[in-house]
Formats: sequence, structure tokens, C-alpha cells
Amino acid sequence: MLTIKVLGSGCANCKKLEAVARQVTEQMGVQAEIIKVTEYPDIMAYNIMSTPGLVINEKVVSFGRIPSPAEITTWLANALEKT
Amino acid sequence: MNILTFLTNLLYSGLGNLASYLAAHVLLCLLPAFYIAGAMTALIPKETVTRFLGRNTPKLISYPAAALAGSLLAVCSCTIVPLFAGIYKKGAGIGPAITFLFFAPAANILALIYTGGVIGVDLAIARLVLSLAFGIGIGIIMALIFRSGDVEHDKATDAMFAAQGKMRHVALIFLLVLVSLLLSGTLKVGLLTNTYAAFTVPISGMDKFQDFLYNLIPYDSAKGEEGVTAQGSILIALLVLIGVTSWKGMESIFDGFNVWTWTSLSIVGLTLLVAAVGMSPHSGGLDILINGKFFGVLIALAILGWILKTKLTEDETRDFLWESWKFIKQIFPLLIGGVFIVGMLRALIQPEWIETLAGQNTLLGNLAGVVFGVFMYFPTLVEVPIAQMFLSLGMHRGPLLAYLMADPELSLQSILIISTIIGRLKSWTYVAWVALFSTLAGLIYGAWVDGASVGLVSLYLSTFLALLSGMLWFVNRRNVQKMATAR
Repeated sequence: MLTIKVLGSGCANCKKLEAVARQVTEQMGVQAEIIKVTEYPDIMAYNIMSTPGLVINEKVVSFGRIPSPAEITTWLANALEKT
Repeated sequence: MNILTFLTNLLYSGLGNLASYLAAHVLLCLLPAFYIAGAMTALIPKETVTRFLGRNTPKLISYPAAALAGSLLAVCSCTIVPLFAGIYKKGAGIGPAITFLFFAPAANILALIYTGGVIGVDLAIARLVLSLAFGIGIGIIMALIFRSGDVEHDKATDAMFAAQGKMRHVALIFLLVLVSLLLSGTLKVGLLTNTYAAFTVPISGMDKFQDFLYNLIPYDSAKGEEGVTAQGSILIALLVLIGVTSWKGMESIFDGFNVWTWTSLSIVGLTLLVAAVGMSPHSGGLDILINGKFFGVLIALAILGWILKTKLTEDETRDFLWESWKFIKQIFPLLIGGVFIVGMLRALIQPEWIETLAGQNTLLGNLAGVVFGVFMYFPTLVEVPIAQMFLSLGMHRGPLLAYLMADPELSLQSILIISTIIGRLKSWTYVAWVALFSTLAGLIYGAWVDGASVGLVSLYLSTFLALLSGMLWFVNRRNVQKMATAR
């Protein structure tokens, strides 16, 4: 079971990232819990300088942009191997 | 006047304003501006600027770098708040953070281009220069007042700002060509506005169509309104097409590019070309005047297309298109609504009201501009058509600038967000300083517009700066004493 966090206060890109992440997990058929982090103090705890941020199992994998589905697939696969 | 005619008039006034905006101003300046903003967000790595915002950077560099970050990176609120919090808590401290926060909404690329295109280049430059001076000024003041708080933050790490970044040359060239596309469409120099060739398209009835449009949407050139021309209506139709094709091609861009993506880009190019040429309908047909603008736009578009197709990676292209589309989708509908409402308001507000309140460059007039800016909240960029409305109703350019400085900086919403990060006391201190500085900006700029000599204006400015530094010195000394007694 993976924990995916989408960091962002609700701007257009944050919603898009959440949608892309959801789509990828469904395609891969992995069990993942997607959590939206919207409060700034909580977002800042991850040391990112611009939203949206993507966190997989408490590790920041990208921020400030929307990664492509291929990238997210790779990160998820890596995270699955470790667990 | 019965209520029905009144309402119809109101509706017409709104529609007329909207149509003339869409046809005249928006296209040549705003459409490229959205793509420039998109390219900046997607292609400039944030690290190129943020590495100057760390704790160990000298103040002489970190303040201007904060302003630069505000102008280049922060077109979108996705970046403004997190970067602000980052600079404040983990980077250069409250001073540069405030500079960044001040500069971002007032002098980002979209706001400047739009102000320049709609109201005038002089006001855009005044907005830029005064925002720079005051942003850094307020930053330094805040840093001095709240320096004790910054000491605590010093214990936090600086690692976030250590990353290095380099912009690819081809991305930089891409950005520069986009800017030249904008300039060749909007600059009014002979080389670009001269007509080099003309031909006639034998479509009859275009002149009747234009007369029909003038009748449909009446305008009053004495009030500074512009009618919708035949060319304008073609442009509006193309805009709608861009909207529809982009919706199909850009919304799903993360699933890959499709036919619609390229169709919509081609229509954007076509629109810019149509907007560039001159058109004059007459009874024999439609004269198309090929001017310098047309060639400028054509060359820029060709280079852009070539770079996009062959030089940028797929990821870069996708990010660029998505960011641009996101800005269009986010801002354009609000702008359309805003312009429509401004058009209706115009019919309601009597010029005498504005003239009595802010027709002269007085302290009261400037204060009125600022107060209006603080208490009214308008979505991004809508402050510009509102400012233009005030201008045409007889507002002096001084109070107008005061309003333009205060409105995007301060709104209840933004004050609430900042106060969750830096606390209430600091936020309200910031608000007070911005109000004061905006009033002064209006007064000084207004005096200059009224023809005060440069010497007098600089005397005002230096008196003010002397007062300010005296006060800062006092605050600073008191802080030092306090720290000494605490020990």
C-alpha cells in the first residue's frame, strides 16, 4: 500500500496533478491512498518552493510542475520495489 | 426613463465595452502575453533565481533577486505563496520575502504588458519602477522592524536554496522570440506600421457588415470608446475557435498531443496574423493592407514553430503549452466578466463624482485611490480595465497609479493567507506600509504628470527618503537598546 500526497492549496495545477496521479495508479492497478495536503504550514514542512508537489511514501519526488504519467509510473514502481 | 430601457442601456454598455476590448486591445498584447507567461513558468528553472535567495547571500544581491523572482517566476499563485513562505522561513528572511510578495502581483509580465497595452506605456513603466523601489524599501523596513524574529529562523537550514539551475540556451531564445512577437505586434514605429503591399479581396457587403456592427454596438469616441470593426468581429470569431480547439487539445495534453493541439496552435498563429494586417472594407470589397507588423509576426511565428517542433523536448513543449493554456483558462473568463461589468458600471458612475474625488492630484484623491484598492477585490488583471474606466471618467493619473499599486498588493484574501505564514502583526504592518507607499507613489507620479520639474519631484522623493531613514535609524537604535537591556 502506497501513500501518495499531493501538496497544493487547490490551484489548477494541483487538481491536474491529483487527476494524473489517480489515473496512473488505476492504470498500474496499485493500491494507493491519495491524500491532498492543502494547508500551507503542512506543505512547507516538505521544503518545496512551489506547488504542486508530489510525495510518495513521504519522499518528495517532484514539485513546481506536473510530471508526465510515465515519470509517475517509474516513481511508483521504484517505491513498490522498496516496500 | 423606464426601468426596461435603463436595463437595456446597461446591458449594451457592458457588451459594447466587452466587444471593443476583445477586438482591439486584448489580442495583440494579451494572447502572446499568456504564452510568454507560460514559457516562463515552464522553461525557466526556479533554481536560477532562488539560489540567490538563501540566507548567506549578501543583501545587495538578495533584494534585487527577490524582485526578479517576483517578476519572472511568480505569475501564478501556485508559486507566490510557497516561495514567499520558503524565503521567509528558510531563506533570506522577511525582508526579501516581502520584496518578493510586493513585486510579484504588481510587476509580473502579464500585469505589465496588459497595463502598457490598455492604459499606456508611461503608466506601465511607472508601475515597474515604483514597485521596484518601494518593494525593496518596504522589505528593508520590515526586516529592520522585525529583525529579532529573523534571528530565530537562522537556526533553520538553507539547503532548499542551494540547488543550482541553468536555463537551456534554446529555451532562452524561445522566450526572447516570444517577446519579439509581442513587440512586433504592439510597437508603434514606422517600420512596423508602414504598409508595404495591399490587395483587395472581392467580398461584397463587408462595409455594410461594419456599419451594421457600429449600429448594433453604438460607441462614443468622445468617451474614449471604440467601435467593433469587421476585422474585430473576425478576431472575436477566431478567439472563440481558439477556445474550443484548445479545450479539446490542451485539456488532455497529459495523455499526449493530438490533432486539436496543433489545430489550436495554428489558429493562434492565424489570429495574430489577422490582427496584424490592416483591413478596410468598402463597397468594392475588402482591402487587406500588408504592413511591417505582419512580417514581424510572421517571422517570429516561423521561428517559434521551428524551435517548438525540433529543439524543445516533448516534456518542455507539453509543460509550455499546459502552463499557457492554464493561464488562459484561469484568467480569460474572469477578464471577460470583469470587462463586461466594468462596461455596465461606466454607464452608472457620473464623471463628476470621480472628478470631485480624484480629478486632481491631491492627498485626498490619492488616499481615495488606495482605499478603493484595498477594500475592493478584483481577480488578477481586472484592475486594469477598471483603472481605464476611472481614467476615462476623469481620474487624474496620480491617484490612478496609487490605485493600481494598492489593488493587486492588498486584498482581504491575500492578507489572510500571508498572516497564516508571518502572523497578524507583521501582515498588518505590511499593509500599512503598502498603503502609505502607494499614496506617495501616486502623489509623486501625479506631480510629475502635472509638469512639476524634475528637481521638485526629486526634492519630494529625497525629503521622504530622509524622513524614512531617520525613522528607521530610530527603530533600529531602539531595537539594539532593547537587545542590550535584555542581555
